[in-house]
Amino acid sequence: MLRLLPLIFKNSLRSKRRSILTILSVTMSFTLLGVLFAMYNALYFEDPTPSQALRLITRNRISLTVILPASYKQKIKAVPGVQDLYISMWFGGTYKDQAQDQRNNFARFAVEPEDFFKVQKDLVLPEDQKQAFLKERTACLVGKRLADKLGIRLGERLVLKGDIFPGDKELMVRGIFEDPLADETLFFNIEYLYQSLPAGRRDFAGTFNILAKSKDDVSAIQRDVDEMFKNAPVQTRTETEAAFALSFVSFLGNVKVFLLVICGAVTFTILLVSANTMAMAVRERVREVGVMKTLGFTNGGILFLILGDAVVLSLVGAALGCLVASGLAAGVAANAGGFIAQFKNLSLTPPTVVFIFGFSVVVALISSFVPAMNAARTNILDTLKYSG
Amino acid sequence: MSEVVIQTKDLTRVYKRDQFEVTALKDASIEIRKGEFVALMGPSGSGKSTLLYLIAAMERPTSGTIDVLGQDLRALSDKQVAQWRNIHVGFVFQSFNLIPVLTAIENVELPLLLTNLNAKERREHATTALSLVGLGDRLTHLPKQLSGGQEQRVAIARALVTDPDLILADEPTGNLDSQSAQDVLTMLRTLNQEHGKTVVMVTHDPHAASFASKARYLEKGALLPEGHVPQDWFVRPA
Ligand SMILES: Nc1ncnc2c1ncn2[C@@H]1O[C@H](COP(=O)(O)OP(=O)(O)O)[C@@H](O)[C@H]1O
Ligand SMILES: [Mg+2]
Repeated sequence: MLRLLPLIFKNSLRSKRRSILTILSVTMSFTLLGVLFAMYNALYFEDPTPSQALRLITRNRISLTVILPASYKQKIKAVPGVQDLYISMWFGGTYKDQAQDQRNNFARFAVEPEDFFKVQKDLVLPEDQKQAFLKERTACLVGKRLADKLGIRLGERLVLKGDIFPGDKELMVRGIFEDPLADETLFFNIEYLYQSLPAGRRDFAGTFNILAKSKDDVSAIQRDVDEMFKNAPVQTRTETEAAFALSFVSFLGNVKVFLLVICGAVTFTILLVSANTMAMAVRERVREVGVMKTLGFTNGGILFLILGDAVVLSLVGAALGCLVASGLAAGVAANAGGFIAQFKNLSLTPPTVVFIFGFSVVVALISSFVPAMNAARTNILDTLKYSG
Repeated sequence: MSEVVIQTKDLTRVYKRDQFEVTALKDASIEIRKGEFVALMGPSGSGKSTLLYLIAAMERPTSGTIDVLGQDLRALSDKQVAQWRNIHVGFVFQSFNLIPVLTAIENVELPLLLTNLNAKERREHATTALSLVGLGDRLTHLPKQLSGGQEQRVAIARALVTDPDLILADEPTGNLDSQSAQDVLTMLRTLNQEHGKTVVMVTHDPHAASFASKARYLEKGALLPEGHVPQDWFVRPA
């Protein structure tokens, strides 16, 4: 059978226009599939880092956008297994021309500085910068990747125009940190935010970010915290940080269903396109099938040749698709990584690539099986008399 | 007398198309001996090709018996028939039927892909076959770069490259000018006389038939007895 391979390649190249069009459409489909698979993989299959696995986030049970009383902090702190926690608040705001230039639209959080450092253990920051952030109320920390991207330097003054909260925040960049999960985020002191608000409206938290003592405590904390506020006027929802990040994504829509629907549609498209081209290719070749049978090729041999042709075209399309998808994934990582931490390192993992190649073979076989089988089974004379 | 290589008895082939039944060949009994060059003649639609395809095992008879090279063809499965044809039969079509994307030598190598020969041996055999038909200098030409006569010679090389016992040709000169036809017929005769191949050729051209050692006539699906010619044959050759 191996000696038939050159024949398969020659057949695949026979009609350049058909082959190129087929490969292009298959490439486009697999590009889309590749990116979607990469996203799906990043969202639902990637393991959290060891320290992320210890972190939980408590938010308002109703929605991410509804605040909690800051007084819950002491109660949560008392829950067994809780090492430390800090209050964090999403500060929307506008930086420069962020409506025009997407790069200026990054995540900003107001946090309690001291407890923040106790919980975010992955964060790498020079000691003097850390001290500066702790001391100065208007100080802020900027992730290294973000700083590099926007050319932000130590000692610089940033202005955030308020939107959820009134008034502008003038912040001094006192630290540039590295953290694989928050590299494109800005943190500033929540005191600064509280101070700018009327006295009666200060006592709130967006989320409580918790560090568990050990991995074994995580599920108990999750259960106990929510249990504690079950009958309180304001109820909570506690999740692991990884799950929380997911719920933040699903806040953007039902991503899982969305991804699956698109994947399905794309798969269907590839099937149609390649079924159509294979039917065309087989029709073109009916007479040759008869000739080859006359020379002694069996039905099985003919089937192998035709299916092989489809597989070759599909594999080339899959290979190109993986290449383009890798480029796109890098683009998504650069642009969306700041908001959706899972996409920060979005790429086509080797298993994804293997899966796409395998998938392309399956698609090729399914789409060409019927025409191939028909051609292989046609009586020799009928094929020879075919004047197509 | 040499051995009988093709023997049919009451060979019948009926085609069904919708409700109609066409008896393409009826009760044909023929014996062809090793080393013969037989021309099958007769008007269009008389069943010549049908008989040839039955001998080549490209068709299955509706009834009757057929033995070729000592093999009862009806006893073979589809797969066995294909292998049998690859080994024992070289077939030449009227319309050459070369694979357009393959060069001359690749076309000739095609039937060898099914044998145990390695790439080098396949190349050697194919080169020899093409030299034999006078195309040793056209190995890498594509069919579209060859004349009709040259294409048919490539097809003959393809038919003989496996060194089959039997060469079967269905109107091999039907699409050729008279000079090319002459070359092709001469070649078939050489294969018959110098290489001892048994040749069966369908034609309705008396000149082509004159290259054969014997002619047999068909009329309306019936094989006429040896020496008999259809009544209006000279008036209306098809
Ligand atoms: N595959 C087929 N289906 C239906 N009828 C056929 C088929 N092949 C041949 N016939 C009919 O059988 C008869 C003999 O055909 P054929 O052997 O091709 O004649 P010849 O080669 O002598 O011109 C014709 O009437 C033809 O129409
Ligand atoms: Mg005919």
